Order: sequence, then structure tokens, then C-alpha cells
Amino acid sequence: MLKRFAAISSGPLLLGVLVVLLVWPLICLVHGSLHEGNGGGGWTLDHYTSIFTTRSSRVALFHSIWISLGVAAAAVLICLGPAWLFVRHDFPGKRLARAVLTLPMSFSGILIGFLCVIMLGRIGVVPRLMEWLTGTDYFSGAAYQLGGILIAYFYFEIPRATLSLESALRKLDPRLELAACSLGAGAWQRFTLVVLPQLWPALLATFALTFCVSLGSFGVVLIVAKRFSLLPLEVFEQIFAFNRYPLAAAMSVVLLVIALCASLTARWASNHLTHVR
Amino acid sequence: MNLPASIEVAALPVERAREATPRRARISTSKRLLIALLAVILFVVISPVVVVMLGSFLNTSFLGLSSEQWVGDGSDANSLITFQWFSYVLKLYQPQLLFSFQLAVLSVVVCILIGVPAGYLIARGDFPGRRWLEELLLLPLALPGIAISIALIQAYAIIRGRWYFVLFGHLIYTLPFMARCVAGTLRSFDCAELERAAQSLGAGPWQRFFFVVLPSLRHAITLGALLVFAVSFGEFNVSFLLMTPLTATFPSALYATYTFNSFQVSSAATVVFLAVILPVLALIQWLGGDELSKVEQGA
Repeated sequence: MLKRFAAISSGPLLLGVLVVLLVWPLICLVHGSLHEGNGGGGWTLDHYTSIFTTRSSRVALFHSIWISLGVAAAAVLICLGPAWLFVRHDFPGKRLARAVLTLPMSFSGILIGFLCVIMLGRIGVVPRLMEWLTGTDYFSGAAYQLGGILIAYFYFEIPRATLSLESALRKLDPRLELAACSLGAGAWQRFTLVVLPQLWPALLATFALTFCVSLGSFGVVLIVAKRFSLLPLEVFEQIFAFNRYPLAAAMSVVLLVIALCASLTARWASNHLTHVR
Repeated sequence: MNLPASIEVAALPVERAREATPRRARISTSKRLLIALLAVILFVVISPVVVVMLGSFLNTSFLGLSSEQWVGDGSDANSLITFQWFSYVLKLYQPQLLFSFQLAVLSVVVCILIGVPAGYLIARGDFPGRRWLEELLLLPLALPGIAISIALIQAYAIIRGRWYFVLFGHLIYTLPFMARCVAGTLRSFDCAELERAAQSLGAGPWQRFFFVVLPSLRHAITLGALLVFAVSFGEFNVSFLLMTPLTATFPSALYATYTFNSFQVSSAATVVFLAVILPVLALIQWLGGDELSKVEQGA
């Protein structure tokens, strides 16, 4: 009885906290993006259309999407290796390796941007090493080009992708592979015909997750973007350089909608996974 | 006397067959490849951190690796190792460091006060809309920080510049971690059974919550608190947009050093940050281990 009372009263309490922290600000965001001036004026869709008609923001949106897609694909493919190793194999130093791999989890984007500049900047470690080895400073200033941005974002995604894939791999039943093995399937056949069909929802979910994270992070580009502008950086500039809140709000809503679509895909995929199981 | 040996000989082929010899032979090559891949990834992850750590105390201009000149007191300009960058950073960014620390501790306290009941509610509560509440609670993990910050600024422009405004932003991102830890543990064992046992012995609902549920959550709450601390202390996106000069966090100070200061000062500031965050991460790894992948999956 009292427990029911506690549940009934604490549910709305939690809901209240979430409304204050999350729902109301999001409503204000959408409301602000649909109005003309800073906090006032009539209803308008101009801010949304100007995202697509202004060249810089359209390019930024385009870059944001395809860089995030590329990094998410690379992260899923490459991190499958370590994840597989952590779940299925034992080797000395496994715990330490896992700890090091999850290290970038709590690095903010700027820290990773800084690391990228140190390694691949104009007088970074890699170009200096290259100069010492070959006489030409290869990769000098790579941090500020597409390659550097991709590497920095990939660094950002390593722990996220690995942990996500790891928890999916843990759910797979190794007996299925043993059965395939007893029927004469080779390692490659087992992987493509037994593991992958079970795993693809998890791959898709991890892809969506890493896509979401790269799409929203702006710390990395804040440090390294010289040539490339991404949408989060564009939002930041609209506020701090031009004080155009409604336009920034509209861009944020676009980011939110893309992220929501991606995470819904992830949700759908992981539901599919549990059905398969 | 020969009997055991003959049994052993007879058992061996069976064992071999069970362990699937061809599989073993092939796995070892694929395992070797995977370990090579892991080694490359580990090298990529760790080498920049090592460079930063070296750069923070080695006198790179003395070594001739850097053209930057130190314009401070210059007392030990010719020594190989110097710790002056650390004292410089700690002196200059002490308020930010302190504020970040306070903010992280406060986030932990509030998350224990709100997040633990919230986790209990979404795992064990039975009321209409429980699933929606859970979705809403975990939603921020998928949303871009910059969008949340602008939403907060638009909604609560009046309290911009107050310290608790930044705390609000941190709570949005830290509450899901705590709730997820607690809910995950509650779902992993039959908590209802325990509670019923306690009830049959005459324990009231509050007694059950404090003496039965909470003790079994000790591990989850510790892990959650460490995660919350790490997330809050390292958070940049939200705090950078919400801050005013008086409510700058340490990651914002890091950004300032990256933008305005030399490589060595930036490195020293980064190492100060790592010195706080690495022990916490090590503890998380030590305590959490395999559970971590479940908790952090959505982060």
C-alpha cells in the first residue's frame, strides 16, 4: 500500500525533474527556431530554409553527415576485432588492454583534438619523425585536413564501438559455431554464415550509436577544423560570432532530428537482435 | 599399472576431436592477426598520451625540439626536466579546477539522491507510462550536447551565469548513467523475491528499501557514482556553452590553454586533467569490468 503510494508519488516527481531539465528546454528550442527575432516575432520557417539555401551551412551539414557515416563504418569494422578478442579469447594483459582501449571514453572532444594536433600538426610528432627518417616532413599539418579529422573522430569512437560490440558478442551462442564447425565449416564460412547473420543488428546498432556521437560532438572540430566546418561548429559560430539564436536553434533541431532517427534505427536493430535470440 | 596410461591414450583422441583440431589451428592465425590489430589500435590510443606526458615536464626548447621560449621566471631554462609548467597551470587555473571538482561531487550527490530512486522506479515500478519514463530518462545519451545546451539557454536565460545552471546541464547527462547502473543491477537478480522474503518477516516498505534493496545496490551505486564523476569532470560541450567567465570548468580551461598557450603549458594542463580522471577510470575498470559494456553502451 505504502509502496504503491511511493511509486505513485515518485513517478510524477521524476517526470517533473525530467520535464524541467529536458522536455521544457526542447520545447523552447523548437519554439525559438520557428520564430523570427531573438525571442519574439511571428511564426516562420525561414531559419530552416536558410540552412539549406546558405552555402556554408549546407556544406557543413553535408560534411557532418558523411564524415559521421564514414567514421561510424570504420569504427564498427575495425573495433569488431578487439571486441571479438575480448569476448572469445584469453591472453596475458587482456584487462590492461581493455582498460587502455576504453581510455578515450572520458576524453572530451577538445582533448582528442589537441592530441591530434600534437601528433599530426604542422610540427607534430609524426611529421618530425618522418623528417628525421626520410628527410621530408610527410603528414605535416594533416591534423587540419580531412584525414586528421577522420582519425580524431575515429579515436573518439574506439571505446564506444568496442564496448557496444563487445556486449553484443557476449550474447552470441558459441555452440552454434561449434555445430557449424562439426559440419565442416571453415573459419571464414563460420564467420560469414553463422556469426554475421546473428550479428548484423548489433552492427547496425553500433553504427547508429557511433554516428550519433560523432554527429553531435564539436570539441574535436573546435580545435582542428580549419578547412572543414561541421554543423555543430556552425551552430557554435552562429551563437558566439553572430548572436543569431533562432538560426542556431533551427540547426540544433536538425541535428536533434538526425540523431533521433539514428537512435531509433539503433533501437529497432537491437529489438530485432533480441527477437532473433 | 598400465591401465591408467591406456585410458589416457584412449581419451586423448576424443578430447582432441572435441576441441576441434582444425578450428584450433586456424583460430591461432586469426587470433594472431587480431592481436596485431589490437596492438596497432592500442599504440594509436596510447602514444599521443605518452607524448603529452613527456611534453609536460621535458624542457623541449632546451632539447631543441621546440622553438617556443618560456617567458616566465626562467630560473631553470637550461635543465632537462622542469615542473614549472605545472605550477603555472595550477596557479592560473586553480578556480576552474576547484569548480569542476565541486561540480562533479555535486553531480554525484544529486545523482545518488535522484538517480538511484529513478533507477529503482524504471526497473521495479509498476505504473502506466513506466516505459515512456525510461525512454525519456535515457534519451539525452543520444542527443547532441550542443543542441541540449542551446535548448537550456533558450529556456532558462534568466539563470545563465549561475553555477547551478551548469549543474543542470551536467545532470541531464549524468542521471542516465546512474539510473542505468541501478536498473541494470536490479534487473539482474530477483529483487522482488528478496523483498517478499523481507516482507514476510515483517519489514515495512521503507525498511525493505533501506535494509534490503540499497545494500544489494552498493556495488551499482559505487560504479554509477564513479561514472558520474568521470562524465561530469570531463564534460566540455555543455559546460562550455553554458558557462560565463565565473562558471568556467576545467575542460574549458583546457580549451583556453590549447588556444592561447604554448605546447608545454597545454600538455601540463592535460596531465593535470589526466591525473584526476585516470585513477577514477582505473577504479571503474577494476570495479565494473564486464558490466561496463552494458552500462556505457549508449553513452
